[in-house]
Amino acid sequence: MTTSAEIRSLYVHVPFCHTLCGYCDFYSQVIDRRSVAPLVDALLLELQQLAAEHEIAIETLFVGGGTPTTLPPEELSRLLRALESLPRGEDTLEFTVEANPATVNSEIAGVLARHAVNRVSIGAQSFDPSELRVLERIHAPKQVVDTVAACRAAGIERINVDLIFGVPGQSLAAWESNLERVLELRTEHLSCYGLTYERGTPLFRQLQQGLVRRVDAEVEAEMYETTIDRLGAAGFGHYEISNFARPGRECRHNLRYWHNQTYAGIGPAAAGFVRGLRYKNVPDTAEYVRAIQAGRSPRIEHERLTLDRTARETAMLELRLIEGIDRRCFAERFGHDPMDLFRDAVAKHVELELLAVDEHALRLTRAGLLLADSVIADFL
Amino acid sequence: MDQKLIRNFSIVAHIDHGKSTLADRLLQRAGAISDRDLKEQVLDDMELERERGITIKASAVSIDMPVDGETYMFNLIDTPGHVDFHYEVDRAMAACDGALLVVDATQGVQAQTVANAYAAIGNDLEIIPVINKIDLPGAQPEDTALEVEHVLGIDAEHVQFVSAKTGEGVEELVRAIAKVLPPPKGDAGAPLQALVFDSVYDDYRGVICYLRIANGTIRKGQKVLLMGRARHYVVTELGKFRPAMTPVASLSAGEVGYMVANLKKLQDVTVGDTVTDALAPAAEALPGYDPPAQMVFCDFYPAGGEEYSELRDALNRLSLNDGSFTFQPENSDALGFGFRCGFLGLLHMDIVQERLEREAGVDIVQTAPSVSYEVLLRDGKVQRVDAAGDLPTPDKIEELREPIVETQMIIPAESVGPIMALAEQRRGEYKSQEYLSPQRVMLTYEFPFNEILYDFYDKLKSATRGYGTMDYHVVGYRASDLVKVQLLVNGQSVDALSFICHRSAADRRGRRILHRLRQEIGRQLFEIVLQAAIGSKVIARETLKPLRKNVTAKCYGGDVTRKRKLLEKQKAGKKRMKTIGRVDIPQKAFMVILEPED
Repeated sequence: MTTSAEIRSLYVHVPFCHTLCGYCDFYSQVIDRRSVAPLVDALLLELQQLAAEHEIAIETLFVGGGTPTTLPPEELSRLLRALESLPRGEDTLEFTVEANPATVNSEIAGVLARHAVNRVSIGAQSFDPSELRVLERIHAPKQVVDTVAACRAAGIERINVDLIFGVPGQSLAAWESNLERVLELRTEHLSCYGLTYERGTPLFRQLQQGLVRRVDAEVEAEMYETTIDRLGAAGFGHYEISNFARPGRECRHNLRYWHNQTYAGIGPAAAGFVRGLRYKNVPDTAEYVRAIQAGRSPRIEHERLTLDRTARETAMLELRLIEGIDRRCFAERFGHDPMDLFRDAVAKHVELELLAVDEHALRLTRAGLLLADSVIADFL
Repeated sequence: MDQKLIRNFSIVAHIDHGKSTLADRLLQRAGAISDRDLKEQVLDDMELERERGITIKASAVSIDMPVDGETYMFNLIDTPGHVDFHYEVDRAMAACDGALLVVDATQGVQAQTVANAYAAIGNDLEIIPVINKIDLPGAQPEDTALEVEHVLGIDAEHVQFVSAKTGEGVEELVRAIAKVLPPPKGDAGAPLQALVFDSVYDDYRGVICYLRIANGTIRKGQKVLLMGRARHYVVTELGKFRPAMTPVASLSAGEVGYMVANLKKLQDVTVGDTVTDALAPAAEALPGYDPPAQMVFCDFYPAGGEEYSELRDALNRLSLNDGSFTFQPENSDALGFGFRCGFLGLLHMDIVQERLEREAGVDIVQTAPSVSYEVLLRDGKVQRVDAAGDLPTPDKIEELREPIVETQMIIPAESVGPIMALAEQRRGEYKSQEYLSPQRVMLTYEFPFNEILYDFYDKLKSATRGYGTMDYHVVGYRASDLVKVQLLVNGQSVDALSFICHRSAADRRGRRILHRLRQEIGRQLFEIVLQAAIGSKVIARETLKPLRKNVTAKCYGGDVTRKRKLLEKQKAGKKRMKTIGRVDIPQKAFMVILEPED
């Protein structure tokens, strides 16, 4: 805890993409030039309101989407400038922008760097053209390399690449070669996600219609375990279920989510957790813009968490971290050692060797990582 | 009332052959209901709204019927049509002297026609065959009349051809009822003997008994004795259904009506008991009935687990109106606290379950229905067992016996092959085959009751393209090579999943049920072994490998609430499961033994 200011982390949602990908369930729409300026105006207005209502001392910023880098350079610049000039906290600023390989050239990379962006997260997903087609990604594998190079040339210090394993048709060997390709890029951070078939996505429908086949659970488990081993050998620390970083290069913004700490969110479909209140903005760009313009709240969901629920949610999130739940921190925050609060769940999963306990922490074992949801459900 | 002018009769028919329409037509003919009130099928929804909003089932309606210058009293005594309620049919018929056997002229004799005709013959009733629906284009009245004579052996001399719908032939029928059916016997001057042939519960009056006066006269205010119970009551109200409840001062030999006498609950009176005068009792009671036998059993558990007391209250309430099902507390390691319930048949079970869910709003988990087996023990005692879990250990059993039903199936001639094959599969024993006409055949088989419990009727229907009908009645118990198949989950026996079946079917059923259980239980955090065993001999086995991967890949700021809710739901779902050993078993898994085979 470095400052008493309320809001030290901010998420900004930019709901535009060039095309929509079949597996993705984040709120996004195909970019339409006319809606860009009104959206940026609205984002800046919501930001002003936030600053008027809360003390801000920003330490982590995350601009996600969608694909923020689809914004025209001048609009992107306008948004980043406003974010850049927010009051800062004591920690150095971590400022992440998500980018897709086909959307970043040296001009965009330059815009990012000029506005204090020091971390770019690139949605590569795969280096295999056939896998990219299944995922409906528009870029070519080579563009990932070019994007990393453009960011490096512009002076961006920290780069993350996202990859997806368990893509229909993918073999274990194909996944391993993806890992080798990504390691060649020498990034600071890697996120490797098992493909999730999210309800409501085109990919989910294809699965139901039998047009695509799930990768065998056994193979997918091997892909995950291979990932942990291979990246570990390459010097990456595994710090969250799907996240790997070189020492000291973990994503501080995301860590705040996983420690269930306060963050604000602005933009359509953005979520925030401020003063014990979880909220979510309307997932509709036009409606969001109208609400902001009319001075109405764009928020559609509110949930005030009780202390008990917050404690359980914190356990759910912190168990995702490899270091697990710090027993002392947890007890200070909620008044109970997690060993007491979750006695039955702990006993059950320790016996099953899915959970390890020592005097400091409660954490998933290697086997537990693969069955995290089964374990975590018992903590709720 | 001149006893010679009273006619007590039932109308019996296969379902949809027009019984209710004919009853309405008779009421209308008597002026008991106006033409304007003749909405369809008054007798069927005889639940008359009383002034206090009470609904009462009128299963005996008294109407004044003018015939050739004399006014007769017709008492129409209602009978349930379905196979499950034979005992009710029997007891209603005990209050009658005659019966109208209604047969649809387009359908001919059907299985329940046969069952009802035999019941009427067995009760010594004079039968008038009534060939109905003669107005329909496909009607074959003469052929149908011949079928009645040929199949049922009922003299066609008095057969009546009617259309209950248009009214055609109804005058002639009314005359036949007056001339052909006999008046009741009995002596109004003799000591009182009145048969209780039905009873219903009313929130305000208590129990209402339906009486047929055999001898003597009963009066309001009279002190009476229920002979079977040896208990005294004072008659507080007497009356007739015309069709509304209409009080009268007295009822005499041959008459039918109702009595209210401060009986608090249905269990206070046994249907079939005799009412006599408390001070001058009759020498003996009328022949009563055998109490209804519960033939089909299953357990009801509250789906929520916590609704046990609600379920108990609902069962108590329901038993006020239906004295023919039984229930007693049951405790299953798999399903917790519930009730073991006995029913007259499968339809009866469905009706009770539906009423519980609809009227009491209790969600029910129902276990597989089973029949009641007879166990001859080594020590010579005989015991009834209606759940696999209650079966004594094999070393104590000398012989196991199962209930046998005689089944009449009336089917198109071209379906004989498939139906015989089906009967074969179900261990049916062929009794007879009779051609009703060149196109229609009556097959008679004896089946072990449990073989036709689940899906036999559906199979019969589909094999006959919907034309087949069936009826059954229990004819007794027979020794059989039955075994108890136990289901084990990680070595632990689960009574709720165990079943009794014929040895020849044990392997196949055991394997099938394990296969389905495997699907319902699903992979869990550790290996699960499912086994089916007879005694210590394992006859089938399935292994579920442990779950390999169950992890949400992405969980960021915007995902927290949704992911938490998903996992909370998963946990709540688990809570509703039963845990055996460490294995979570969804309630649906307990239903797999209910599922039809193949």
